[in-house]
Amino acid sequence: MDFRFSEDQLALAESVREFLADTHGPQVLRHLDKDGPRDPNIWQGLVDMGLTGLMVPEEFGGLGLGLAEAALIAAECGRACLAEPLVDTAFVAVPWLLAKGETGQLAAILAGVCRIPLPHAINPWVADGDGAHLKSVDPLRILTKGTGGDDPHLLDLAALMSAAQLVGLADAMLAQAIEYAKIRTQFGQPIGAFQGLKHQLASCAVAIEFAKPVVWRAAQALQDEVPTRSIHVSHAKVAATDAATLTAETAIQVHGAMGYTYEVDLHFWMKRTWALSGAWGSRAFHLNRIDNAVLGDMLELGPQATFA
Amino acid sequence: MHLHYTPEQSAFRAEVRAWMEMHVPAEPLITLECREGYDQHVEWERTLAAGNWGMVTWPEEFGGRGLDLIQWLIFEEEYFRAGAPNRANQNGIFLLGPTIMEFGTEEQKQRFLTPMAKGEVVWAQAWSEPGAGSDMAAISSKAVRDGNQYVINGQKTWSSRAAFADWGFGIFRTDPDSKRHKGLTFILFDLNTPGITRRPIRQLHGETGFAELFFDDVRVPVENCLAGEGEGWNVAMATAGFERGLMLRSPGRFQATARRLIELYRRHQAEAAPSAREAVSQAWMAAQAYAYNTYSVAAKIIAGGKIGAEASLNKIFWSELDRSMHRTAMQLLGACAELKTFDDGSVNQWLEGYIFSLSGPIYAGSNEVQRNITAERLLGLPRVGAG
Repeated sequence: MDFRFSEDQLALAESVREFLADTHGPQVLRHLDKDGPRDPNIWQGLVDMGLTGLMVPEEFGGLGLGLAEAALIAAECGRACLAEPLVDTAFVAVPWLLAKGETGQLAAILAGVCRIPLPHAINPWVADGDGAHLKSVDPLRILTKGTGGDDPHLLDLAALMSAAQLVGLADAMLAQAIEYAKIRTQFGQPIGAFQGLKHQLASCAVAIEFAKPVVWRAAQALQDEVPTRSIHVSHAKVAATDAATLTAETAIQVHGAMGYTYEVDLHFWMKRTWALSGAWGSRAFHLNRIDNAVLGDMLELGPQATFA
Repeated sequence: MHLHYTPEQSAFRAEVRAWMEMHVPAEPLITLECREGYDQHVEWERTLAAGNWGMVTWPEEFGGRGLDLIQWLIFEEEYFRAGAPNRANQNGIFLLGPTIMEFGTEEQKQRFLTPMAKGEVVWAQAWSEPGAGSDMAAISSKAVRDGNQYVINGQKTWSSRAAFADWGFGIFRTDPDSKRHKGLTFILFDLNTPGITRRPIRQLHGETGFAELFFDDVRVPVENCLAGEGEGWNVAMATAGFERGLMLRSPGRFQATARRLIELYRRHQAEAAPSAREAVSQAWMAAQAYAYNTYSVAAKIIAGGKIGAEASLNKIFWSELDRSMHRTAMQLLGACAELKTFDDGSVNQWLEGYIFSLSGPIYAGSNEVQRNITAERLLGLPRVGAG
């Protein structure tokens, strides 16, 4: 029993965080918003970092890492509000294909020349697919009409990675609100010195602190194929959605009227939060899965079952 | 990340479970906030000690088993699963004990830890004063050095367990010219020392658990000072860290409450509001989240890390979770919620628990103070009135 990421895993996440902070800041989001939401240079940067091959087995030239590492990196993608479909292709499609024993596309995914849209019955759209576009509130999302089958493993993988991105988004929105609260002064002091703001931001910190381990635990449960994995994924999705929603609403409140403008960066993160909160199973869908298991006596309860 | 118990850890769980099933009283004890209940709980401490379960993480020489924090979490999980009584000596074993382990001299460890683990000496804490609650640095009770003794004068209040306990610990102003966090000293004292008057305070539920303490020229030997004169604030902050962080409220407690709430929901499902359904699922989720978080903190500490201001996040989370679970139970009980005893003669423990849960966001530093600490020390926001 060791609920910790290794030094290597944390160092990897740190390097991705730094890379995205350097190459995918708010000015890039504005450029994408203005000039079109996909940029081959950004994608190539991710490929060169080896991220498209993160979960591709070593025998196919990838890094052969697991869902725990992928979830950690997905959180970094959320933190950077990454627009490119890295998470869908590299952290959802790759493990899904591997689980089905399909290895034909791995080399192309690794090389960055193949992106895999993920149609599923749970969503009324397909992200980064071909065809007529639907308009998302998130200016950097590309959605097309379409739906697919109801593969439960695909749903679990994608819901987990949405949850991981949501905790990263929440971290970023909290950081933006804190920075603003430090520099904006009213009544002769930074607004962040007022308890009315402090307590709201502290509540966001609590929600995020206790959502993250749920996400990591769900990632490990999927990786280890424990029988209750779907419940843990649903728990992760609900906890991450709630933490990110609270943080988004608090962050705009802290920014005041500035938060209601298009000029302040916050809106990119807030809109991604709204999108991912409903994607891959709404709060109601996941809560229902938990209700049925926990209240309906379908889940072993008791301390020996905490990690079962 | 490895989220499986080792065979040794599972075997340890089985050992604890078997012992608890043999020894936990079949009928819940009377509340420890009255004389008779307190005596029952002290008796239970001695039973635990006889099984060598007093404080499993402590070294064997101090009455422990030398186990690690994961085993302690397993012990706690099984303790609450079995419905074992609240720990009369929680202020000792969970708060003062670790503090002595960190700051005490060898002589102090020998003298205080073993009787604590064995339930022979029960400890009360004495932090708050009438003028120093959330603002603990406003402490004014004085301890004046006179030869090899301190002479203590002043008043402490909300002193948990002090109505019946044997010894107390608290911080006192040893430098009369000092202000705020400076000039304070952490002192241990026998509650039966001449000059100490205890005035039990009747609590919300009608019983008397905590007390006011009046000090009138109370003479305490200087060797009862922990970590040196003037170091009191730092030592007290470490104790508060144990209190808010890992030790005082382990996840097994809240997971057990969540399971009882699930059972209660199943019995009242037919008339329960849809919001209760969500609240019960939320209780399970939050208790699980608290367990995951604690296991991750324990792993960090085992690897040599420390908990700092993060303890405040913890305290906010468990205290508000506990209140919300008990509130949900009261709603599920409907018209029966107000009954102190049910038709079948059993005590309405949800009512007792709900009343107790209301103290959670207040004791161990109010949640408003915890949110200030979180905002200022973890999030880096400016201090109140910083300008």
